[in-house]
Amino acid sequence: MGKGDFLGEFEQVVLLAVARLSGQGYGMSIRREIERRTGREVTVGSVYATLARLEEKGLLVSEEGASTPRRGGRARRHFRIRPAGVQALEATRGMMERMWDGVVFDGGERT
Amino acid sequence: MSRSQPPRPAELLVRLSAPPVQRDDQLGDLCEEFEERAARDPAAARRWYWKQALGSAAANLGHRLRAARDEATAHARGDGMMGTLLQDLRYALRSARKNPALSSVIVVTLALGIGATTTMFSVVWGLVLDPFPFPEPDRIVGLGSAYPKLGGEMKFWENLSPAEYVDVRDNSRTLEDVVAWDMGNRQIAGEGPPQNVFTGFWWGDALRTLGMKAYLGRGFTDEELARGDAVALLSYRIWQDRFGADSTMVGKSILINGNPHTLVGILPKGVDIYGMDLWTIMPIGPDRYPRNRRQFQIMARIRDGATLRDVNTELEGLARRTEQAYAAEFDEYAGWSMRALTWNAVSSRSFRAGAFTLLGALGFVLLLVCANTANLLLARAQGRRREMAVRTAMGAGRSRLLGQLLTESLVLALLGGMLGVGLAALGNGGVRAMLSMIGAPVAGTVQLNGPVLGFTAAVAVAAGVIFGLVPAFQASRTEIAGVLQAEGKSATSGASRQRLQRTLVAVEVALAFVLLAGGGLLVNSFLRLERVDTGFAADHLLTMRLTLPREEYSGDAVPAFFQELAERAQGVSGVRSAAAASQFPPIGFSFRELWFEGGAPSEDQTLPRALTTVVTPGYFETLGIPLRAGRAFDGRDRAGSPPVAVINEVAAQRYFPDQDPVGRRLKIGGPDADAPWFEIVGVVGATQNRGLERPPEAEVFGLHAQLGDGANQLFLLLRTDVPPLSVLPAVRNVVREMDPDQPIYAIQTVDEAFASATATRRATTTFLSIFAVFALILAAVGIYAVVSFTVSERTQEIGLRVALGADAGGVRRLVVSQALLPVLVGAAAGLALAVPLGGALKGMLFQVAALDPTTMALVAVLLVGVAAAASFVPAWRASRLDPVEALRVE
Repeated sequence: MGKGDFLGEFEQVVLLAVARLSGQGYGMSIRREIERRTGREVTVGSVYATLARLEEKGLLVSEEGASTPRRGGRARRHFRIRPAGVQALEATRGMMERMWDGVVFDGGERT
Repeated sequence: MSRSQPPRPAELLVRLSAPPVQRDDQLGDLCEEFEERAARDPAAARRWYWKQALGSAAANLGHRLRAARDEATAHARGDGMMGTLLQDLRYALRSARKNPALSSVIVVTLALGIGATTTMFSVVWGLVLDPFPFPEPDRIVGLGSAYPKLGGEMKFWENLSPAEYVDVRDNSRTLEDVVAWDMGNRQIAGEGPPQNVFTGFWWGDALRTLGMKAYLGRGFTDEELARGDAVALLSYRIWQDRFGADSTMVGKSILINGNPHTLVGILPKGVDIYGMDLWTIMPIGPDRYPRNRRQFQIMARIRDGATLRDVNTELEGLARRTEQAYAAEFDEYAGWSMRALTWNAVSSRSFRAGAFTLLGALGFVLLLVCANTANLLLARAQGRRREMAVRTAMGAGRSRLLGQLLTESLVLALLGGMLGVGLAALGNGGVRAMLSMIGAPVAGTVQLNGPVLGFTAAVAVAAGVIFGLVPAFQASRTEIAGVLQAEGKSATSGASRQRLQRTLVAVEVALAFVLLAGGGLLVNSFLRLERVDTGFAADHLLTMRLTLPREEYSGDAVPAFFQELAERAQGVSGVRSAAAASQFPPIGFSFRELWFEGGAPSEDQTLPRALTTVVTPGYFETLGIPLRAGRAFDGRDRAGSPPVAVINEVAAQRYFPDQDPVGRRLKIGGPDADAPWFEIVGVVGATQNRGLERPPEAEVFGLHAQLGDGANQLFLLLRTDVPPLSVLPAVRNVVREMDPDQPIYAIQTVDEAFASATATRRATTTFLSIFAVFALILAAVGIYAVVSFTVSERTQEIGLRVALGADAGGVRRLVVSQALLPVLVGAAAGLALAVPLGGALKGMLFQVAALDPTTMALVAVLLVGVAAAASFVPAWRASRLDPVEALRVE
């Protein structure tokens, strides 16, 4: 496995948020999901930058929904995770778990 | 109904920064969530939007930059995108350090330009575009009124009466939470000496009108308002500065002019109505005032479903009903009107034009800064042609060089931008000084806030791109072989670069010309205005206003009161003489129609209208208005004696050309058969009775006892031997002795009355002049840089000339005259530009044409002189070249 196959932290966060929303997620709901779960404030711009990157890597796919007047007549773009995205998430988690496995800090407590 | 909209500039930021394919998605998301949030708290929603927009812009730009890098490095070899970027950054900083003088000039001029722009934009933002933290600024309105009989000007300050407030409050269906207030100074005690604070006296709870809650405690309750309780609110600002933000004060008693009041709350941060730091309740109801005591302001909130237009339609109807009911008793109601404007517009009315003029001028300064920086970078690029050629020869692609140069100029721009923001923060003192000069609410409202910072960042980045691209294209177009082979032997290389530099110099000169011309025209106007003779002694004159209630004073009692007041005030120590009058220069506002004896009445005739002023006998003596013919009013003229009038010179010349007006008779108000004839007994000198900027108006004076018509509202005028305001306490006592219930208001000196009329002009003039001087310096720097580099480039040629026998003077003349060519072209272009732009200043010019030849000639001479001086230094250096050394140069 090459080094490019693992996901960065924010990529994981975004991809997991897309997965959590099971295909119904779009920009606003994804952003909110991240804010709610991580307690971190994130901007629309940074979410989209990452979404675009993930889509480029083929880990998720987006499609345009119907336009609504509440968005000034603009359509919502829904994001759905692809099998490659699931694989990448699992690979990343697997890697992290292998790294964590057996780690013991002073005092013998596993944090 | 107006729904809350996302802030436009923030939206634009996202629109511009987002990659095109994501633009709609991002805007849509923001729009959707904004609406959700705005439904709960519009102000917080706007803040949220700004935060998102600024953060997103950064993320978007980063995203796009990386994408561009990826694309670039896909073609060229490199260590990946971050590697390239870091390499460029390192390189940029290194090359900036290599040429510290040039780099610092670039950074400093950019910082000054960006600093000034940020400061001015902060001012315009804070005062004009978004001055208040109100949740729905579009729905808060201020009311103004205009009375043709009283001068006809629409005023929003001290121009409405308690009765008019009650009419609106009780009858309007488009307005709710209608409040009115009066203003004045009160002393509050606390630690340290008592302090005078500007205070509002309210009918109604203005916090409810504004849709806000007190920062601490609460606003006034209906019960307190109904009873006129002694309760108070303090501004956040004064609570911080003077009371150390002591939150235990709320609920306790504070002393206002020695009277205990309960402090019920602290106003929300940034709530600033005309700079009032203390809010109290008006102790007596609006029904206790005469209908024409016009010293109040009205504010209200537009009801759901109504628009500003609906409000104004309704106010027009209300004005007509009032006219029908009261015009017989109060003739100023004939044709009067009431109008609502948003509170933002009301509060920035007086300085809007000045603020935008300065903002426009700053646009020019910023352009100039960009042109100058481009020029300097171009000069620098020239010195690096070989370096570029070598890099190209080593295989660096054109896009790689472009990217590197762009990074370099962006680094400089960002350094300049950051320094500029720092300067702007320091410049706040200057801003405050300017605000107080133009009489704007000096408050915490003007500060460097998010949007303003965003604007500055945008300016810095734009500047970087603009001036970074020019030299970058130039440099990357370098012919490798040409440069490497030439080894600097060619004396005339880079002809197109020189053309570009000269063009930039010409552009700089043109921009500087426009700014200098604008500054010059304003300064010229201002000097002329200062020289205008007021026609009387305007210094050491104190004025104040009194309105007697009609219920208590009627008929002869009114003039008797004012005459006695003037006589008693004259007894106050320090007062040399005193009089009362319905108006005084420069604030003449009341016109009436005149009918001269012997005139032929006709149906369609327009009667002459003159300022008609009601005075007590000592008026001319008190103001120092000279008598030109006949006599002034004296002891013979009383209530029952034959009516007499005095006219000014303007009236004498206009109505009695080549005749002696003394002895002629006129009727005041028109050819009414029952009206008495007034005999003209004297002619007095003309005064600037409508302000310095308008020519003196024909004016007729009558005695209050004879012409008063029950005028119950007069100014007391005091000529003092001591500083005018020092007699105020004693004069207050005199008024209190005569009637303890009558307040005096609108206290000011006549000097102040003149000065406040020219305050905006003075501030605009000062600041535009500063910009113009800055522009001149920038242009000089630009010219110096270009000439220096031209000279260094032509070292060999000049050395050759010297070796062949050219004398030092000849060399200097050659260099200076070549440098001056683009300056002259620029000056001509500047003159052409000044024609339309001078027109924009027209409203602010006084006795000066928009293309005043003297100003234009002076500006041209100044610019060319400075340009010659700037080019003389390198020319002098060139003339002292040692030919041997010069010919050996590379």
